[in-house]
Amino acid sequence: MSDDLNIKKSSKIKTKSSSVSGGGTDIDYVRPAELPEQDLYHGHSFITKWIFCQDAKVIGIQYTLTAVFTGVVGLILSWMMRMQLGFPELFPFLTAESYYQFVTMHGMIMVVYLLTALFLGGFGNYLIPLMVGARDMVFPYVNMLSYWMFFVAVVVLMASFFVPGGPTGSGWTLYPPQAILEGTPGSEYGILLMLISLSLFVIGFTMGGLNYVITILQARTRGMTLMRMPLTIWGIFTATVLALLAFPALLVSSIMMTLDKVLGTSFFMPTIIKAGELLSYDGGSPILFQHLFWFFGHPEVYIVALPAFGIVSDLISVHSRKNIFGYRMMVWAIVIIGALSFFVWAHHMYVSGMTPWFGFFFATTTLIIAVPTALKVYNWILTLWRGNIRLNTVMLFCLGFILTFVNGGITGIFLGNVVVDVPLSDTYFVIAHFHMVMGIAPLMVIFGAIYHWFPLITGRFLDEKLGKWHFWTTFLGAYSIYFPMHYLGFIGVPRRYFEMYDSPYVTSAVGMNEFISIAAFIVGAAQFIFFFNVVKSLRLGKRAEKNPWKANSLEWLTPSMPPEHGNFGEKLPVVHRWAYDYNVPGAKKDYITQTTPPSEVLGAEVEKT
Amino acid sequence: MTDPTLDKLPGGFKGMSSDIGSDQTTFKGVNWGKAMMWIFLLSDTFVFSCFLVAYMKVRASVTEPWPYPSEVFGLEVFGVPVPLLLIAIMTFVLITSSGTMALAVKYGYEKNRKMCGLFVLLTAIGGLTFVGMQAFEWSKLIFHDGVRPWGNPFGAEQFGAFFFMITGFHGTHVSIGVIFLFIFARKVFRGDFDTGKRGYFTTMKSDYVAIEILGLYWHFVDLVWVFIFAFFYLW
Amino acid sequence: MWTGLVFLGVIIGSIAFHFWTPWWWTDIASNWSKMDDTIILSFWIGGGVFILVALFMVYCIFRYKYKEGRKVEYKPEDKKLEFHLTWLTTLGVVALLAPGLLVWNDYIKVPDNAQHVEVMAWQWGWKYRLPGEDGKLGTSSNKIISDANPFGINLDDPNGKDDIIIESEELHLAKDRPVKILLRSIDVLHNYYVPQFRAKMDAVPGIVSFYWFEPNKNGEYEVLCAEYCGVGHYAMRGSVIVEDEEDYKKWLAEHETFSSFIAKQKSNPINNKQLAKINNLLNDK
Repeated sequence: MSDDLNIKKSSKIKTKSSSVSGGGTDIDYVRPAELPEQDLYHGHSFITKWIFCQDAKVIGIQYTLTAVFTGVVGLILSWMMRMQLGFPELFPFLTAESYYQFVTMHGMIMVVYLLTALFLGGFGNYLIPLMVGARDMVFPYVNMLSYWMFFVAVVVLMASFFVPGGPTGSGWTLYPPQAILEGTPGSEYGILLMLISLSLFVIGFTMGGLNYVITILQARTRGMTLMRMPLTIWGIFTATVLALLAFPALLVSSIMMTLDKVLGTSFFMPTIIKAGELLSYDGGSPILFQHLFWFFGHPEVYIVALPAFGIVSDLISVHSRKNIFGYRMMVWAIVIIGALSFFVWAHHMYVSGMTPWFGFFFATTTLIIAVPTALKVYNWILTLWRGNIRLNTVMLFCLGFILTFVNGGITGIFLGNVVVDVPLSDTYFVIAHFHMVMGIAPLMVIFGAIYHWFPLITGRFLDEKLGKWHFWTTFLGAYSIYFPMHYLGFIGVPRRYFEMYDSPYVTSAVGMNEFISIAAFIVGAAQFIFFFNVVKSLRLGKRAEKNPWKANSLEWLTPSMPPEHGNFGEKLPVVHRWAYDYNVPGAKKDYITQTTPPSEVLGAEVEKT
Repeated sequence: MTDPTLDKLPGGFKGMSSDIGSDQTTFKGVNWGKAMMWIFLLSDTFVFSCFLVAYMKVRASVTEPWPYPSEVFGLEVFGVPVPLLLIAIMTFVLITSSGTMALAVKYGYEKNRKMCGLFVLLTAIGGLTFVGMQAFEWSKLIFHDGVRPWGNPFGAEQFGAFFFMITGFHGTHVSIGVIFLFIFARKVFRGDFDTGKRGYFTTMKSDYVAIEILGLYWHFVDLVWVFIFAFFYLW
Repeated sequence: MWTGLVFLGVIIGSIAFHFWTPWWWTDIASNWSKMDDTIILSFWIGGGVFILVALFMVYCIFRYKYKEGRKVEYKPEDKKLEFHLTWLTTLGVVALLAPGLLVWNDYIKVPDNAQHVEVMAWQWGWKYRLPGEDGKLGTSSNKIISDANPFGINLDDPNGKDDIIIESEELHLAKDRPVKILLRSIDVLHNYYVPQFRAKMDAVPGIVSFYWFEPNKNGEYEVLCAEYCGVGHYAMRGSVIVEDEEDYKKWLAEHETFSSFIAKQKSNPINNKQLAKINNLLNDK
């Protein structure tokens, strides 16, 4: 029976003759179960069902709601910043101190507490067990702890708004020495709470991350080989591995900086003279922190990007009714990008004063990453090609993602090319680049994914009309924020400037700053269309039948929708094919679900991928 | 997990590729908890690597002279200075506890409740001794030699900072291990692993494989100590 | 239909914006026109890829809009196509990287005849030190900085005696003479950045970092701090004036050397104490 697996992957198998009756005969194609049924704890009370819940789906929703809450805080902070930049001195409470605090909190919230938590904690928890055909995560209890640790991290982070001195204003990179010295807002309590919150986040994430990895590696259902997993799972899996290996650097740098602050050690602190006084610090290395931070920070970019890559591949494939083009290459591209991301960190430090010889190495590795990334883009558009494209909200967000991602990716090649980075680093070009590539692009995917999976989670569709309004204002608005912003960078406007004064080459940009600010207010406000849509559709949305998008992957094939605790009812599904059998020649329907045994699709040529 | 279907799988490199290409599990026959511990240890390796790399970087670039370890860590025994005496004993105790842990795992496999519990307990005592000696060393450095995280009389101030931070972080690992060893010793003696009693928090069935997982952690902590020992005391 | 048109509009708008933008870089005033060239090259290659990918996407939207029963291609892989795309992309990347690395090689190799200028950054301002007639800067240490010795110059180093001290935010440079900027900081990270010169580098407390350029256009330029350095970051400005050699020499002659700076302090009895303190400190080292 297991010989079946040894058939070469590329060889096509014709489906068996009709003598095999459909249903219950899958034993002929798939190895028997290796693992016993998973032992699950079913909650009984409200508390064990909805609060301290061990069901990965509920945990995923808890993660999502918490992350979105922090995201709204981050959004409001960005409004404040744009208010100052576009219309300075309009609001007297916007001082330089508060401006820098808003900048810092906005950055950290969006990167870590919104995007990372949402993709891995939110989508990861909800989708992994469903998509690989498991009843739950392998250690539901640890998974629950993971969420509550994240929750505490968010509480600590938010608490920093209310301590004396306010939250830290050291920039989201928290570069020492300034992060813990007077002269930076929140250098007393704000920075400490930030470091503690980050450490808690890392610990919490590690608990969750171990679950995601082991569930994917060790708890797949029968027939689900690694190369049959949807790309969503591949993206989340690789991102989680990256996170497990990159967050240690963040944890270590947080611990070291906390000690510098609290105990007066000098890990990152050299000899410093403040206000004519020699401080007690001596001999530490500020650049060491930057190395540690970016050894975390660069993989972090891909921790956000890879799940987005994976999810968008699935969405594009489902909604253009066509198999994803070059699946194997997509998988390898994700893995290679992930591996390479550990060798490029110092491209954030070309002008940091580190040995300039590093520039050669890191520029080369950085530009090598461009190759697999570009191939992924080609494969997305080649999936559209000769497909049957449903132009619904989900697809629109995917298309928006492709445009913003290609745009931001190409400016990334600018900045990765060491000598181009010299004039552009620390200018608005950098801001525009990373907002385009890891702000807007992943957000497009998040929205697309929410519109796509909302029927699964709630049993109702989101409103299409509101969705289209939401998309167009968000996409066009965000594009007109960040596309022109690159040109501010060309002028030479440095980032993290509270005010420009009348620098001769900056006054010309006043008009553009006002335009960008107005666009930012509109885009921010447009998100409330989305929130309204969610609230409205929860009650009044169109009811969704089972598998409403006619997708192939397992999450749509649960006996009840929304799926219950344990996901698959009596019997776990058995997988016979990859998740991309759309419009297979010879098949009657335009999709063949992953659980369809070969006996049921007579005459169809099935690639055994 | 003794699954007859696993016996038929190919071995060697061919087995590796066939396992990765197969369904259900990538590491055939590996318990979930064990796989999870391995991945966690991989992550933890990165934590310690970051600490040690930071230490090497700062030690290499600091301008003040670095304290001479065999003097700082020396002990006087009957008026004779013996370099690295305490540390040698500590290392010996910790490595020995790895041995007792391995025996505990062996008896765990054999479902030998008494011997398994005994060796888990012995390992816990070894770990406790180690932590105790470390506390002694710390107090000697702090109260006798005047070494502080922010400065010391011997030279570069980062010496104390890195020493306390890294050995402290490792000591925390050992202490956590000791706590779990004591808890597990109790569980073994009580027979939880024989009856498959459900855990108080996790509500999952107990199994002797837990001893092996704890063993992995314990061996890892020992292995890390070897590196810390080499980098702090021998360099 | 209009979905594709809006996307097409976005692409055309982006291209139009790029070519007719009133916001473009400042006129270059240094030798680093090669950096600008590399950016232009990146624009052509990167922009070309962006346009091709985006246009292809828009074409697909128009051509393959959902229609019940449309015949869809089933082709999981196309090895040949994927291979061609791979090497084409690699070629593009090499075309971007190779010139970039060549220019970087120039950037980190300072010409021997470069004028050394020490830039001392502090929260929040700049000051400068130039070598005297010997052309060498004296050694220095942040530990011995005081009002009497604002640069922490080693008093035992003869090279430091004739160093010229400029305690002002304004720096003058001679036109057409390479300059090596040596960056020091007494407190936090800073970055000495003049947009017209294109070059920049962080000033890191504890080490001396450097970069070089050759100003080739007379004029006054604004210096910006380009590394976040605390709440006064945005106000940390300075100015560089590039002028002809004679004007530069005149300006240089107006500034005092370190030894005359000390001599002045000696005549002032209050500062003698401080000086003694510095000497003690130095003797300790």
